[in-house]
Amino acid sequence: MKLSEQAIRILGELQEQKQLTVGQLEQEGYDQSMVNRAALELQGKNLVDITEDEESIYTLTEAGKQVRDKGSPEHRLLKRVKQGDKEISDLQDLQIDVALGKARERGWIKIRDGEVELLEPVEEALEEDVLKKRLEESRFKEEYSERGLVKEEFKIVRTLEITDEGRNLGLDDVEIEFNVESKAETPRTGKRHFYKDILGFAREKFVEMGFQEMSGDFVVPSLLNFDALYTAQDHPARDLHDTFFMKNPEKADLSEYGDKVEHIKETHEDGWTTGSSGWDYDWSEEEAAKNVLRTHTTAVSARRLHEIDLNEEELPKKLFIIGRNFRNETVDRTHLAGFIQLDGIVVGEDLNFKNLKAYLSEFFQKMGYSEFRLIPSYYPYTEMSTEVQVYDEEEDEWLGMGGAGLFRPEVVKPLLGFEATVLAWGLGVGRIAMKAAGIEDIRELYRNDIEILETTPKWRPQNVGDSV
Amino acid sequence: MPNIEIDKREFDDLVGESMDEEKMIEEGSMLGAHWHRIEGNVCDVETYPNRPDLLSVEGLARAYRGFFDLDKGREEYEIQEGEEKVEVDDSVDDVRPFIGGAIVRNLELSKKKINGLIQLQEKLHETMGRRRDKLAIGLHDLDEVKPPFTYKAVEPEKVSFTPLEYDRDMQLGEILDEHEKGRKYSWILDDEDMYPIIEDAENRVLSFPPIINNQLTEVHPGTTDIFIDVTGKHEETVKKALNILVTALAERGGQIESMDVGGEKMPMLEPEKRELDVEYFRNISGLDLEPDEIAERLQMMKFGADAGKEKIDVEIPAYRTDVMHQYDLIEDVVIAHRYSNIEAEMPNVDQPGARKPIEDLVERVRKILVGKGALEANTYYLSSNEKLFDRMEREEEDIAEMSNALTEDYAVVRNWLTPSLFQTLHDNRHHSYPQEFFEAEDVVELDDSAVGASNHRKLAYLISNSGVNYTDARKTLQVLERDLGVDFEVREAERSFMKEGRCAEILVEGDKIGFIGEYSDQVVENWDLDGSVAGFEIYLEKLV
Repeated sequence: MKLSEQAIRILGELQEQKQLTVGQLEQEGYDQSMVNRAALELQGKNLVDITEDEESIYTLTEAGKQVRDKGSPEHRLLKRVKQGDKEISDLQDLQIDVALGKARERGWIKIRDGEVELLEPVEEALEEDVLKKRLEESRFKEEYSERGLVKEEFKIVRTLEITDEGRNLGLDDVEIEFNVESKAETPRTGKRHFYKDILGFAREKFVEMGFQEMSGDFVVPSLLNFDALYTAQDHPARDLHDTFFMKNPEKADLSEYGDKVEHIKETHEDGWTTGSSGWDYDWSEEEAAKNVLRTHTTAVSARRLHEIDLNEEELPKKLFIIGRNFRNETVDRTHLAGFIQLDGIVVGEDLNFKNLKAYLSEFFQKMGYSEFRLIPSYYPYTEMSTEVQVYDEEEDEWLGMGGAGLFRPEVVKPLLGFEATVLAWGLGVGRIAMKAAGIEDIRELYRNDIEILETTPKWRPQNVGDSV
Repeated sequence: MPNIEIDKREFDDLVGESMDEEKMIEEGSMLGAHWHRIEGNVCDVETYPNRPDLLSVEGLARAYRGFFDLDKGREEYEIQEGEEKVEVDDSVDDVRPFIGGAIVRNLELSKKKINGLIQLQEKLHETMGRRRDKLAIGLHDLDEVKPPFTYKAVEPEKVSFTPLEYDRDMQLGEILDEHEKGRKYSWILDDEDMYPIIEDAENRVLSFPPIINNQLTEVHPGTTDIFIDVTGKHEETVKKALNILVTALAERGGQIESMDVGGEKMPMLEPEKRELDVEYFRNISGLDLEPDEIAERLQMMKFGADAGKEKIDVEIPAYRTDVMHQYDLIEDVVIAHRYSNIEAEMPNVDQPGARKPIEDLVERVRKILVGKGALEANTYYLSSNEKLFDRMEREEEDIAEMSNALTEDYAVVRNWLTPSLFQTLHDNRHHSYPQEFFEAEDVVELDDSAVGASNHRKLAYLISNSGVNYTDARKTLQVLERDLGVDFEVREAERSFMKEGRCAEILVEGDKIGFIGEYSDQVVENWDLDGSVAGFEIYLEKLV
């Protein structure tokens, strides 16, 4: 009999163990795809039987982890009511709807006139948070999946069992079949992360276009992230739901901005000398001093505008940064608590909207997108606010790549100290990275699965013409 | 961004023409309102927060009549002089100081039109109204109540009425505790002893703003005359919202009637006037348009516009909330001109490009470590004390920490990279070994800068396999040393997370820049790993 070298090795393992799963063989150091190929070859010669079973795996969701770490809403409710917090309006910090629903279902409480009353006997329920305990011990029930605490995933488990024929085959008698057409194992190599590969490429392109790189810190005062960008202090973006505020360090010392703090204040209140009527409210310096994790790299652009000193540098200037930013979101398939943004500004006297279009169009050409368009949009800090879209030929669709515009005079004059035109954009290439790696779950950009890292081709733009 | 649903037939009726669906989705979106889908008669339209006047089918139709060149220029709305009054009592000053009011008569309201009106009301609450805090709107069937109305603040126990969705009288406090809307919006009245109400001449409560109206005044199909109240904390916002509502109803054929509200005549629909400088327009937009061409485009955006030689006199409709500067007018001219008609024009800005020196160094480090055979990781910056310290068997330190994180998993900013690489090993447990990862990214450390924290660029490297030891990490460090052309001094040291006698500090020119070693069995176990793990972490800044 003739067999490939790989099949002989797998058969050897099975002669010792009788049956093994693909996973177990992988643990022994075999490559998964090699094992599968060998298994099929051996099955074809009746030396091995392959069986496939579905195994369900439960993993905790974010909500499940919350319950595991902090306790179930219904149990926390019981404890609070026991301590005397009876009014529903005082219990809003719990997941009150779930807590009330579950506690009622279990017959622990009743509600009267907006107050929660404990029913006897709840002593036992109070003593131990059964749900929390079960989650801690990974004892999952169907019900938890319905409550969204765990998610069930199915995995195919492939088991190889040696046949009598296989057991009786003397390996020394098998002739090695050498096939120059069959694939060898691809070795694991060092490799750049595919997302950083694309970001590195984009960095090169900005440098080629004559842009100078900026850098900046993640923790910034609200002044830079919002106020200097003419975002009113009651703007929804400044909600706790969207922005991470810092507990430590809680506040920044704004004295380095000197008079500019006063100018920003006046700009918000009545437009200062910018020609604007302003937002018409009482601006608070205390609010502006609150530190946040920057929600966009535009905060770095604002900082850089503040630093421009005409005694030391000349206008026009082209600047860019590629950096991380943060949003207070629950992480799931389509959301992350952070994202990477490519920010650029061009600062000068004689710049206009047509120029903005030219820079964006050139950049996306270099990134491999020959068709691009601008759609009217809105940001508090730009006018001629526009969404940037590129046309993806493969998918036959327009992809949103971020926003752009001219910084409003209410942004420019207080920061620079004089009037100028500033073209600005904040772009994201995460979608390009996800397409390159063939992933649909955005968390995979940060999970570093070895198989995805290894199998994603080195990135290069599609359709780059001669002009670039 | 607020999404609204509108009925295509109503839209066409109000525009006065049957609009092509494809055209609305493609060209219509160039107005600054995205037409996502039209299915049957249902249009799904997304608008931006700067244009609350587009949150209704009436407002959208008005805008598109201009944008598609069917009916240009500012809309004039006739206001009939009315007799009715809203008295404003001083008691509201500390609670919810501003109120606007108006009457609209001769309406023919159907169920569908009422739903559209409620949608406009709700979207204004959410956006301009900052979830009813800054403004709240009440719509009342005028036939059910008797003016004059009074806006005042009262003690919660002293007043009761039957709110919408209930069938019994409730005191104001009871409404806050029990009514769904009360529970949802009671935060606005936190810390207040007195609550605002609007009542009629016979002391019947119309509304308990910003919470709920009396069932008595509910608007229903057949209602012809309505009283609109807008209350809030910002005078200009209250007045603008009233303008948006009454002009939308006037688009429907309603007759606006003025009221005396606390001595002021409302609504106030006189346009605000501004000038647009022609030269300034040309400089900013890059478009070489003639004054009358600029004026025509403003009219397409429903402004009043009169072209002079150097300036355009512009009349801004009273429902527009977003025109603060000439820039806002320039944007509208360019929108009417169509963004798609803007030609790209590259300016001559002569400047050599440059990367930050630290990025150059990181690029070299990447090449060296990839050549060595390591995979580059891309990990989260946010983490938890549990991962950064407990699991690493390291004593907790003061680090940058958020005050409002949604989950404990992302509650602090990492101050070292190695735990992120342990996470990466953990996530790859099902793959074969050896595994080798590196990452060169920023960490955040507290300091005495003006902000109180700064970024620092670090490099971490881990190798994991059964039998991996200190020497494996040292080999990689030496590759780095050789290829960067630097000299590292390695001096025996101790770390709580490393094996004793298998740990050292790394120094460059006498400065400590990091550590290297073999991780303790406890750390390896904490991350559910088999085998052993060795690695290093260094600051890159000193190597630039």
